[in-house]
Amino acid sequence: MEEFLTLLLAGVSVGAVYGLIAIGLNLTFWTTKTMNFGQGSVMMLCAMLTATMIAQGWPQVLSILAALAVIVVLMVFTETYTVRPALKIEGSMGWAVSTLGVGIVLQGFASLWFGSQALAFPDIIFSAIDDVVVFGVHMSLQYLAVLVLALVLVVAFELLVRGTVWGRAMRAVSMDADLASVIGIPVRIIVLGSYIGSGVLAGISGILVAQIGGTVDPAFGFELVIFGFVAAVLGGMGSTTGALAGGLVAGVLQQMVGGYISSAAQHGMAFALLILILVVRPQGLFGQREVVKV
Amino acid sequence: MLEIRDLVVSYGAIEAVRGVTLTAVPGAITAIVGANGAGKSSLLRAISGLAPIRGGSVMLDGKDITTVSASRRAEMGLSHAMEGRRIFRQLTVEENLQLAWQFGRRRNAWASALDRVFQTFPILKEKRRTPAGLMSGGQQQMLIVSVATICNPATLLLDEPSLGLAPIIVQEIYAFFTERCREDGTTVLLAEQMAALALKVSAHGYVLRQGRVVREGPSKELVDTGLVAALSSAYL
Amino acid sequence: MIIAFRTVLTRLITHPVFILAAIAALFFGSAFLSGGTVAILGFLMLNILLAQSMNLLTGIAGQISLGHAGFYGMGAYASGILMKTVGLPFVVTVPAAALIGALTGYLLSFPAGRVREFYLAMMTLAFGLIFREVVREWDDLTGGAVGLSGVPSTTLRTLHVFGYTLDGLDYFRVILIVTVIVMWLVHNFIQSRYGRAFYAIHASEVAAGCLGIPRAGTKQLAYTLAAGMAGLAGGLYAHMIGYLGPESFDLARSIAVLVTTVVGGLGSMAGQIMSAVVFTFLPEKLQVFAEYQFIVYGLILAFTLILLPRGLAGLLLLPPRFIKPSSLRHAVAAEVAIRPVETDKDAALVVQGVTMRFGGLTAVDDVSLELHPGRITALIGPNGSGKSTLVNVISGIYTPAAGSVRFFGETITGLPDHRIAASGLLRTFQDPRLVPRFTVRENLLLGAHRRYKSSALAATLGLPSAAREEAQFLGTVEAVTRMAGISDVLDQPLESLPYGYRRLVEVGRALLAEPRAILLDEPAAGLSEAEMTLLARMIRAMKEAGLMVLLIEHHMDFVAELVDDVVVLDSGRVIYHGDIGGMRQSPEVIAAYLGTAETEHA
Repeated sequence: MEEFLTLLLAGVSVGAVYGLIAIGLNLTFWTTKTMNFGQGSVMMLCAMLTATMIAQGWPQVLSILAALAVIVVLMVFTETYTVRPALKIEGSMGWAVSTLGVGIVLQGFASLWFGSQALAFPDIIFSAIDDVVVFGVHMSLQYLAVLVLALVLVVAFELLVRGTVWGRAMRAVSMDADLASVIGIPVRIIVLGSYIGSGVLAGISGILVAQIGGTVDPAFGFELVIFGFVAAVLGGMGSTTGALAGGLVAGVLQQMVGGYISSAAQHGMAFALLILILVVRPQGLFGQREVVKV
Repeated sequence: MLEIRDLVVSYGAIEAVRGVTLTAVPGAITAIVGANGAGKSSLLRAISGLAPIRGGSVMLDGKDITTVSASRRAEMGLSHAMEGRRIFRQLTVEENLQLAWQFGRRRNAWASALDRVFQTFPILKEKRRTPAGLMSGGQQQMLIVSVATICNPATLLLDEPSLGLAPIIVQEIYAFFTERCREDGTTVLLAEQMAALALKVSAHGYVLRQGRVVREGPSKELVDTGLVAALSSAYL
Repeated sequence: MIIAFRTVLTRLITHPVFILAAIAALFFGSAFLSGGTVAILGFLMLNILLAQSMNLLTGIAGQISLGHAGFYGMGAYASGILMKTVGLPFVVTVPAAALIGALTGYLLSFPAGRVREFYLAMMTLAFGLIFREVVREWDDLTGGAVGLSGVPSTTLRTLHVFGYTLDGLDYFRVILIVTVIVMWLVHNFIQSRYGRAFYAIHASEVAAGCLGIPRAGTKQLAYTLAAGMAGLAGGLYAHMIGYLGPESFDLARSIAVLVTTVVGGLGSMAGQIMSAVVFTFLPEKLQVFAEYQFIVYGLILAFTLILLPRGLAGLLLLPPRFIKPSSLRHAVAAEVAIRPVETDKDAALVVQGVTMRFGGLTAVDDVSLELHPGRITALIGPNGSGKSTLVNVISGIYTPAAGSVRFFGETITGLPDHRIAASGLLRTFQDPRLVPRFTVRENLLLGAHRRYKSSALAATLGLPSAAREEAQFLGTVEAVTRMAGISDVLDQPLESLPYGYRRLVEVGRALLAEPRAILLDEPAAGLSEAEMTLLARMIRAMKEAGLMVLLIEHHMDFVAELVDDVVVLDSGRVIYHGDIGGMRQSPEVIAAYLGTAETEHA
């Protein structure tokens, strides 16, 4: 029983982060119908920079903010030089390859700078062994904290999107970009903002996962982005509630399968889940069927 | 004051507007009529910044806005109610209006701007929290013209506002912007396929055919000289 | 100047003598090279195979593959395990590797055609990752992270085929021959209706559907073939070294293949060879390169499609073509461009009481009309009157809420668009859905797609039956272009021609399919006077051949001279049906177009 609950907690904790990643992917999908295929490297870079700066003796909060600042610059660069020009050329997938390229470059740099060994991630929120006993079961405080933080961020995000003017402007751009621009909404800025937001969410997710896992290495992010994508698709591409729900399901399934069957099965499961949804119900749990108008 | 000179608009290989020169009469309604495919919508889209301009220029209040972005033009007091009844369907009436008010060139406070809309179109007040997509065509069009005018633009572009609406609603919409024009001195550029109606309410008219202006003149003249019949041959 | 250079270079490298000389040089010259160089040449061949496989999938069919190493690895491990553990011979395991690769591609591509491209792209990325993880964990079968060693190979002289022990040189020659054969087959495939269908799916899915090219099925075929080729390469790889480890099939490998294909030039087979040479020898010769490989590859991926979208091939060679030159030479002259339509008593398109709604809006309201052979009917009406919606219902893009459509006595309401097209009822679109990079000839030939009877196998093997069929349709293409008056631009890429030509080509393409009825959606829009004359001529020829023609148009002058009768729609309803003279007098029609000055009601 204890094992089950431990796995469950790990599942919802990791799952909430997957939800965050999925929301980040949704953001750019809303405004441009594109996705950063190098998002994994964004997560990795943020975690690695944070870990390195803390190891150098910088204060924790400052390190995190500095890492996020680098991410912001990176996302502006990505959108301006690899997404926008790619959207202009014929064929839908230029941007997928070019954003993947940026991700690969980052992974390459990270390997050179930090080495390909895993870097230990410092304890920012509690420590790996801190736990609290609930009904006789030991629950990791770290997992709990990450879960709470991720949920808070999801809620904050939703509030921002629904409650603020810029949030509504972004929804407007996702609904009808032409109409948005004729009523005065600066579409260009919104698009840039969505890429920046997506990067920030990815960066924070990277830090949270690195915290739970304890280490970070250059290849750390690729698998995460796939789980994030599974979460997004499972919940319905474009839906925030869906992203969280999808993330939780994916996270719990992953931990359960990994714990009770094997580690390899856990990867296979994600993939099988992805194919299953795309074939059976491509719009996910909360999404809408995309209709192609002639 | 809106002036277009030798405007050329093309989408890839298709030339939609082939050298159009026109001036919108300040503080009055100018009609642009023509059959479908004549280039009316492309012309308006080029003016508001949605369509790329290949040649010629657009001058707004003496300033050349040919290369200015669409949202900047909106900020400068140019408003465009596009064809096809475009509105943010998932947002409520009030949210639609608020967005337009927020990002346009505001002259009034929000409360009084909203009040003015509700006074003109009481049904919108009733439906203020209804998602726009759930309203009837006529109500949507009322919302669209309200959205386009909530910031009291100096220049208003209307693309086939009467399309698919019952005559009684068309009457209301037309009454609305005719009055706006009179009260606020808004310059209106009205594109319609229904020439008779547009010419009736406008001061000046341009007939477009395959991207070019083939007739122009004071609307009264165009109507009086039996142009409606001649127009039918332009259409039919 | 540049065109001349490209022409010369293209003619040189595609010349049969040059190709045979190159193959012979490699085959015999390899005996004089060191073992190490022969090994590198072997890797070059494998890289060429991989690049060609991705080129077929991504360059031609437009489908992304970000985990290609997974297919490569499937084939490698399959052949290695089957030979080492099960003891099957080389001539069985390597084809098995190809089949297993193909099966993997087939299964992976099930969502194709149902979801946007990038979902599948993510899935291929996931696949690559999963493959490596599963290999690492499943150590009983694959040796896990430690790897599978002891696979019969040439390095250890443990590879025996029919009792003969293969050494490095022999194996290179085997790989060379296999690569050459595969490329010849792929080349035939690309320059057949299948290659054209692949590229059509890439360029315009909707158009492809109307031509009778099944979207999902074609994409799946592309993944299956490409994965099969990659699997084959994997099988050959396994027996070069004798050791297989999961690191050989990880993301870096997938990226390397993608880089090779992108730099070579998506769509060009020759480009892939050039690129494979560069990326096989560069890491070997430049140690520095190996260190910064990931970064260089990443930069290449990030900017090549933006700066140099057609890669090396775009720079140095003429654009690849999709018709065999030999077929062109043997084109059978056709007498008529349009074969007369046989009619029977049921010969009519009957639209009865069709109603179509979108949410609360009734776009088409109880519309009925009939088309008969040898008659041109115009469908007109103001903007938003429901004309295009009606045509979409008839052609199968929408299913109406009420009413029926019968064609030659059979009910076709609600059938999918490609089925309706297959029954001989074709339509054109307001914006022509053509393939801009194809020449006029290639675009027209696409129209005959569903009439081909020869199989993919016949086309791939270059059998005479396939060649004959191609020649026959090419002859019809020439007849149609003569009728359309565009013979002089037959071999120019469509994107280089003025807009009016696209219209003419789109209408001509419809004729290649031998339609019995044709719905023309605003064909005269944007045409010059001269082009309109050509179009009118084509439409009259259709009438003479006995086709049923529905012409949606706004251009009244154009319509007036052509049509037999007119149907006028307004707000989804028919408000007039009769001849054009009467239409001009009809008060309802005038009111519908121009509106009335009176909008007040008592």
